[in-house]
Amino acid sequence: MISLYKNLFYQSLRIRMVEEKIIEIYPSDKIQSPVHLSIGQEAVAVGICNNLLKTDLLYSSYRSHAYYLAKGANLNKMFAELYGKVTGCGKGKAGSMHLAEKSVGFMGSSAVVASTISHAVGSALASKRLNKNQVCVATFGDGASEEGSYHESLNFASVFKLPVLFVCENNGLAIHSTIDQRHSYKIHEHAKSYNLKSTYIEEGYDFMKINSLISETINEIKLTGLPQVVEIKTYRYKEHVGIGDDHHVPYRSSKDFDNWKSVDPLIQDKTLINEFSEKINAEIEAAVNFAEQSEFPADSELFTDIY
Amino acid sequence: MSSEIIQVLKEDGTVSPLFKKETDLTEQDLKKIYETMILTRVYEERSLKLQRSGRIGFYIGCKGQEASHIGSAYALKMDDWVFPAYREPGVLFLRGIALKTMICQMMGNAGDPTMGRQMPCHYSYKEGNNGSVSSPLATQIPHAVGIAYAAKYMKHKIVSLTYFGEGSTSEGDFHTGLNFAAVFKSPVVFICQNNQWAISVPVARQTVSESIAIKAKAYGMPGIKVDGNDVLAMYQVTKDAVERARNGDGPTLIESFTYRLGSHSSSDDAARYRPEGELESWEQKDPIIRFEKYLLSENILTPESIKKIKDDAEEEFTQAVKEAEKVGLPPLETLFTGVYKDMPESLREQMEDLINEQKRLGASEDNSMAFPL
Ligand SMILES: Cc1ncc(C[n+]2csc(CCOP(=O)(O)OP(=O)(O)O)c2C)c(N)n1
Ligand SMILES: Cc1ncc(C[n+]2csc(CCOP(=O)(O)OP(=O)(O)O)c2C)c(N)n1
Ligand SMILES: [Mg+2]
Repeated sequence: MISLYKNLFYQSLRIRMVEEKIIEIYPSDKIQSPVHLSIGQEAVAVGICNNLLKTDLLYSSYRSHAYYLAKGANLNKMFAELYGKVTGCGKGKAGSMHLAEKSVGFMGSSAVVASTISHAVGSALASKRLNKNQVCVATFGDGASEEGSYHESLNFASVFKLPVLFVCENNGLAIHSTIDQRHSYKIHEHAKSYNLKSTYIEEGYDFMKINSLISETINEIKLTGLPQVVEIKTYRYKEHVGIGDDHHVPYRSSKDFDNWKSVDPLIQDKTLINEFSEKINAEIEAAVNFAEQSEFPADSELFTDIY
Repeated sequence: MSSEIIQVLKEDGTVSPLFKKETDLTEQDLKKIYETMILTRVYEERSLKLQRSGRIGFYIGCKGQEASHIGSAYALKMDDWVFPAYREPGVLFLRGIALKTMICQMMGNAGDPTMGRQMPCHYSYKEGNNGSVSSPLATQIPHAVGIAYAAKYMKHKIVSLTYFGEGSTSEGDFHTGLNFAAVFKSPVVFICQNNQWAISVPVARQTVSESIAIKAKAYGMPGIKVDGNDVLAMYQVTKDAVERARNGDGPTLIESFTYRLGSHSSSDDAARYRPEGELESWEQKDPIIRFEKYLLSENILTPESIKKIKDDAEEEFTQAVKEAEKVGLPPLETLFTGVYKDMPESLREQMEDLINEQKRLGASEDNSMAFPL
């Protein structure tokens, strides 16, 4: 049996290679939507989703590729979606920022900052009322924690004792503004003001550590039915949106970048990279071909899937 | 920090010696605060009667919360700003509004500065640096934070203070407001009047935090829980917070622990959800009775002077209603004014058409709103 480390590594590497493929294709303009890449942050999605059943429901932000894949959704349908093709997971109408795949419990992602956090809370309320032993997970950036609906969601989940896992992917940036310009609080400490249990991990590159913390947390949530907050410090390698680098502009430091890269298993563990690359590449090529060969949605699709 | 509750004036009407020694409140100040509390209580009792007799459409009051808002507002200077919820009429009295204007507002007649466009009790008093009351909960919090941010930016030495209920702390605006004020060290004082209820929802269903004050900790600002039925503690705690803000040391969250002795509004009946005995136990803590005991024991007031203050307030209210009822309805054109600085031609045409139509048909009924008192 493949070891846990290898399994998580494989999943993380797969996400990174998918996004690197996106970078390669993007200048051709075949991908019709803006892309917010998770490169550098893959371990968070993988560490969370490894502990979720298909019936556990996940909601993410527009930085959603990693969650879509880690939750087990289909890669062909993802590339098709990015290409705006009718075979995409949203029939080509959603694009990169609104990936979703209900069949694996990836319930939605949204361009509107913080908007899916309350959806996770609402679905947890439903799941509690219906006596489903289900955990609902909201993932979001540090910037999202400044939104009013974040506060309302934590308070509501706490008062109503709902089985929600809130995970903040703290990459220290909201577009160009750094966290110290925006926060009077530390996210995991602020959570305590709702009487919520919260934990914090600094090593956002370490999928093993994230996996074991999330495993513990999910077990506790299933046992107690109470919500918790997890804050994970991580690092965004690319610019906020798009495929470029932005370490040449003043708000970022290439020293921090070098530090992250020096501990990033997806860069350092050359042996496993060699072992897995070929297989992953083949899967990606097939998915891109699938997207290329698929059709665009017919005009009549403009009117479907709302009511 | 936040679990202990600050009190200066005990329920038996005695005051801590330290406060007596250090307070800057003169006898004149104490009298003024007391008179305002009485006027506010009379205003409430009489306004509810106006509502019940159909002379105003709605009333929302503050019985039991007079110390909480009047004590705190007394710590402000006149060029400071207040952004109220809807339970702070006493602040307007302190800031010099005419009683008649308040009653005209409730009647929605031409004496109302907002010309009947707002619900009763949604006062707006720009001259007194008092932001408008608005129905949506917690929206005043970002307003207060914004003006404080602007003041700091423009180097004006003013402070802004905002009131909201404990129910309103569940709104997103509470979170964004406190975070923003703390990050930018804006000169603002947040006063949460925790009156234990948000209409029929008790505070235990609003938050599972140990207190409201403790929430301040998350934002790195001081959080202070104070006996909201103790007018002297409210004054002192607010004064300290106002000073901090004015000195550039940033915001403070004050939880005024108090109780709404009345129903939520004239449209509510609190007896339907209050547990038995709760009202009675809080009536024992009535902030006016407590303050009265103190003022009597200090010989600042006598039973006679107290009676005169109360009689004067009643008489003042009677006269103000008489005068307010003489004021006619807002003119028809106010349906169109107050939106654009320069009215667009198309709107002007509609306005003139309507006015001509009214002239042609005449007023359909007597609009004087006069009722026998
Ligand atoms: C409600 C809302 N406000 C502003 C924006 C613009 N916006 C898009 S992404 C972003 C930054 C969000 O930062 P963070 O939550 O830390 O997530 P990250 O992009 O770092 O993953 C902002 C402000 C938006 N999409 N929605
Ligand atoms: C945004 C919003 N939601 C709901 C309401 C309805 N509402 C009016 S008053 C009130 C209760 C508010 O309670 P609290 O903030 O504790 O203030 P209190 O009335 O007790 O002073 C509610 C829910 C509203 N006016 N605005
Ligand atoms: Mg209340």
